[in-house]
Amino acid sequence: MSDEGDELPDDVGSGRRARWRGIVGLTLSRWWRRATRTTVSRIASTIAAVALTIALLVVVTGIALALAGGGVANQDDADVRITPEEGGTLSSVDGVEGPRLGATNDQAATIRSHDGVEHASPVLLETGQLESSDGEPRTVRLVGVVPDDESRTVAGLSTADLESGDPHYANGSYSGPRTGEIVLSSTAAERLGASPGDELAVSTGPGGRTSSAAPSVRVTAVADEGASGSDAPIALVHLSELQSVSGADDGQLADRVLVWGESRAAQSAATDAYPAAAVEVAGETDPSSLFDDGLAFATSVLALLVGVTICASFVATTMGMTVDEDRRMLAVLESVGFPTYSRLAVVAVSTVITTLVGSVAGIGLGMVGIVGVNTIAGGTVAPGAVAHFHPLFAPYAIAVALFSGLVAVPYPLAVAARTSVLEEVNR
Amino acid sequence: MFNHTVRGSRSPVRDRAGERESTTAVRLDGVTHEYGASGGRLRSSDERTVTALRDVSIEVPMGTTVGLEGPSGSGKSTVLHAVAGLLVPTAGRVELRGTDIAALSDAERTRVRRHHIGIVFQRFHLLPSLSARANVALPLVQSGLPRSDRRERATNLLHDVGLGDRSTHRPGELSGGERQRVAIARALATDPDVIVADEPTGELDTATGTAVLELLTDIGRDRAVVVASHDEATLDVADRVITLCDGRVDDVR
Repeated sequence: MSDEGDELPDDVGSGRRARWRGIVGLTLSRWWRRATRTTVSRIASTIAAVALTIALLVVVTGIALALAGGGVANQDDADVRITPEEGGTLSSVDGVEGPRLGATNDQAATIRSHDGVEHASPVLLETGQLESSDGEPRTVRLVGVVPDDESRTVAGLSTADLESGDPHYANGSYSGPRTGEIVLSSTAAERLGASPGDELAVSTGPGGRTSSAAPSVRVTAVADEGASGSDAPIALVHLSELQSVSGADDGQLADRVLVWGESRAAQSAATDAYPAAAVEVAGETDPSSLFDDGLAFATSVLALLVGVTICASFVATTMGMTVDEDRRMLAVLESVGFPTYSRLAVVAVSTVITTLVGSVAGIGLGMVGIVGVNTIAGGTVAPGAVAHFHPLFAPYAIAVALFSGLVAVPYPLAVAARTSVLEEVNR
Repeated sequence: MFNHTVRGSRSPVRDRAGERESTTAVRLDGVTHEYGASGGRLRSSDERTVTALRDVSIEVPMGTTVGLEGPSGSGKSTVLHAVAGLLVPTAGRVELRGTDIAALSDAERTRVRRHHIGIVFQRFHLLPSLSARANVALPLVQSGLPRSDRRERATNLLHDVGLGDRSTHRPGELSGGERQRVAIARALATDPDVIVADEPTGELDTATGTAVLELLTDIGRDRAVVVASHDEATLDVADRVITLCDGRVDDVR
């Protein structure tokens, strides 16, 4: 007496397929009826729990992605960003330097000459020290940029208070006049005890040594509290002046080049100028950047673990309760000859369907959540997007939900396996 | 009527097509069952057990309807459950067409039930979320029949029980008698050798119950039917009535 397949002498394969199709079809049919008519609240609560968990995962991963895309130091309103390929990211004001782009001043000028490009500016990030009003050196993240006549946002600060152009560059001689202008974030200003019009001494490098090549700078503006989107001490200066102070003038080095204008034209110009660099269009952060940034990666992993844990717990609990209420169905299936594996398959498929539907709803909720987070952040603390959505989030969220469902499924299966057909049919 | 066959039906119980009239469908031989005992052995010496059946021997030939009567707790349902393979007795043999199904594994007994036994419950036990046709086709899902074949057979069976125009209705949209007829059609889905019915008219009014009994009589012509009931009208359709008392066969008439 073989254990299975013995009732299918004609075509075992097609019979088995028909059986599984039948089981899945039966489960789908029942699930739909129960979700829309008989046990609406129970299934809806399971779906809602999964959806909220997945939405949380999507939003937090979106924030992590935005963080990997640059964090506050990268908060800008540029349409295209050029960064060194595989160069890692400068994800926060305390980030670690990676490879830099060369000849950025010249290439930015070339990019600016393209039709459809409004402006292009290299951005150099350096950790430097400015002397506070009490004479103590304070560490500040210095951001070198080439402003133009338009007000643009770089590192969360407006360039409007810097003189247009970069006169010290002087066609690569670095001998032009220094403007000595600096725009401080509110945190930097507070740390330095500085206000507009104050003179501050600049130093870079270890020990906070004041550079002889860097005369004092004058505070032209202090950003409103929260305008930079973080509590980080950031200061905006002209690019060539920071390059001179940091030694990045040799090779015209910069960490990235920002391009403003029509996206396609800006992207094309960027690719022409730096064919081997990573060219990223605004809002299209590469998810693989999550792996390059420690904080973003940790955040996304944390979101994943929390998501799986919460999702699996909800699914296990609610589906367990659903199965407990549905024991009579399982008893009927046993009485008409459904073996244990088929009955458990009905429970498992039902659990997976619920999880899948919840995950799809969660992706939608997550997208709404990201829009909401950006709207709230934009209206309060940050000028740019603090969370990004990427199309890969959809399969990722579904995979996470499915995995959570698989983690959860043993519990409803255990409840189902304990069903006594005699108890149920005699009840 | 009721002669639709299911393709490729094989199970641990030998299928002797064409020999139904001449064979014994069901034989209970010295069956004893104690609730509180597990797998034929007592769980512990001090555990309280209830003896539901005591050395019961019954034979049900093919083409015969056997009625079981007796007071509550006399063991009627336990006999039905043993015949249906839902319960393994503590001792004795439960033979279905010569095979002791009590000695089979759970999986094998489930397969026997799928192919050879149809069960009609007092409370119908239809799945409320499925249509009448889907309920009838339920036992065929596991048999691996294509969907079109399942639908066709279920439709035919519903027609046979007089519910051809109710196939898309759900149990909640049917009367008690219609539900019981759907349950009977479901029990016939795999063209089983044996039908067990536990108080099949217990929840029905007299007229509806009579219609259901006519159906059972019709069914019983080419298979074995075991019916447990308190109702004399139900027992009147039986060829033989066995009276159970305190788990023992008290009378056969």
